[in-house]
Amino acid sequence: MRSTRLTWLVLAALLLAVPPALGTYELYVVNIALVNIVLAIGLNVLTGNAGQISLCNSSFMAIGAYACTLLTVRLGLSFWLALPVGGVVAAAFGCVLALPAMRLTGFYLALATLGFLEITQIMIEEFPDITGGIRGMIAPRPTLFGWKFGSDLALYYIIMPIVVGLALVARNLLRSPVGRSFDAIRNSVPAAQSLGISPERTKLIAFAIAALYAGIAGGLGAAIVGFIDPVEYGAGASLRHITFIVVGGMGSLLGSIVGAVVLTLLPELLRGLKEYSDFVYAALLLAFLIFLPQGLVGLGPKLARLRRNDRTVGQTLEPERGTS
Amino acid sequence: MSVDIVVQLLISGISLGSIYALVALALVIPFKASGVLNFGQGEMVTLGAYIALFLSLTTPLPYYVIVPLTLVLAALVGLLCERLFIRPLVKTPEFTIVIGTFALGLMVKFAIRLYWQDNVYALTVPFSTNPWLLGTVRVNPVFVSIIACAVLLVGVLALFFQYTRTGKAMRAVSQSQEAARLMGISVEWVFATTWALGTAIAALAGILFAPVTGIHPEIGNLILKAFVAAVIGGFNSLPGAVIGGLMLGLVETFSGAIASSTFKNVIAFAVLILVLLVRPHGLFGSAGARRV
Repeated sequence: MRSTRLTWLVLAALLLAVPPALGTYELYVVNIALVNIVLAIGLNVLTGNAGQISLCNSSFMAIGAYACTLLTVRLGLSFWLALPVGGVVAAAFGCVLALPAMRLTGFYLALATLGFLEITQIMIEEFPDITGGIRGMIAPRPTLFGWKFGSDLALYYIIMPIVVGLALVARNLLRSPVGRSFDAIRNSVPAAQSLGISPERTKLIAFAIAALYAGIAGGLGAAIVGFIDPVEYGAGASLRHITFIVVGGMGSLLGSIVGAVVLTLLPELLRGLKEYSDFVYAALLLAFLIFLPQGLVGLGPKLARLRRNDRTVGQTLEPERGTS
Repeated sequence: MSVDIVVQLLISGISLGSIYALVALALVIPFKASGVLNFGQGEMVTLGAYIALFLSLTTPLPYYVIVPLTLVLAALVGLLCERLFIRPLVKTPEFTIVIGTFALGLMVKFAIRLYWQDNVYALTVPFSTNPWLLGTVRVNPVFVSIIACAVLLVGVLALFFQYTRTGKAMRAVSQSQEAARLMGISVEWVFATTWALGTAIAALAGILFAPVTGIHPEIGNLILKAFVAAVIGGFNSLPGAVIGGLMLGLVETFSGAIASSTFKNVIAFAVLILVLLVRPHGLFGSAGARRV
């Protein structure tokens, strides 16, 4: 117990103390990684826990980004109010999508979400007066009491607590009856129904949560980048979010965080292979699906088991194959 | 709206619909047999167009040799993909199949983009693309070639499924894998051949569509419309896929002419979600169509 508390303290200290030592670009990457963590957590609740395929996570991110930015630019709302409102707007769209989605499973659900993605993309392009069309839109830096968060470091100290807060909310949610009902409908809808869980209501909540997280991530992402580019919210982006959770570990909060961080930093480490990075992403996704469907967090228990097996083999002369 | 324009819209709508129908067939044929819906099939459309382009640029072969050669090569790619990537995925949950095939398609697209960049290429066709004048109606020969090829292909497929041993085996497998296996049909071989067939049809769609839009890495986005066509048709019905494709092509063309281009772009996906909401098994599918 004590050691876990120590780990948390060390982690908190690192999160607070390291960023000032980083350069501007590194901080920018760290901020992007934080946004990706939010995206991955939301999507993982929907896909990993509730078992619903979604190919339109990036659309909710777009809705959040546009809503948050338009509210600050057009209506002069404070960023700190516009950000959650943007998230709620995205969640409302999530509920709208859930209406057809809660009646569908598998391939049909994938197709419905793909249709939603395309409709969102077309709407962004077709209403350039509001969204700036394909040329995109400039997103202003957030201000607080007249003080502008000009530097990436200042943004980091604002975004980091939000992300930690959202992660804790997700953790508690997954341990609550609602979170357990996600697991129930993933494993068996009839069994869940026999326990009095409404699959429709549960799916609706899962879609709303994923959309809320993606919407907030969209608002944060727009503030970090300073620009909204509609191309960034296409099917490729949704696949990238899915790659986060598949590589990290489906249905695992830690997996979302690990996946988002690793896959945000990976292209930076492979800078020389920049033009291949999209290809590498897709190849990684396929490789993990086939060879390591539990993701990176599934690797831990697997290695531990391997080591335990080695030890038993080493200790006893006649190896007993009792361990599974 | 005059009669001439209606006829012209009909022809372009049917030719667009024929392309949708072909790609929808390329989706439905492997899906019926193996239960795997290929979300990367659009990239096989792109790949077909690029193989034909590559052959026409590097070899002196005439167009009428390049097309069948491309189809054979595409079929081989289909076989290879099935063996390497799809067979390990057949028994996995639908999520894995959706994302796995999507990822495979993206890999093909990115590989094409690395080699050819985003340039738009033209595939030279061996006939004049000047519109014919039939009375007062202008007919684009490209559209006619698309419609002719689609009609031919659908006819050949109908005969293939009705009379050949392989075709019958495919139908048997789609009805019951177990029973087919008991009759001595190699289910694995049928999976592989349906994938080869699907990829070849997708490649044909790519070659036929190339003169309309030019060849670029995003041609594969056609797949979205093919999904809509297949959903309208019911996903496990081949005639349904063809009719769904034609309906979508006509609806898009006419709504583009009557209403706005926004409406034209959105209508396919609105129809998709509407059909999924109201009648998930489509117009021609059977309600019990579930992947086992």
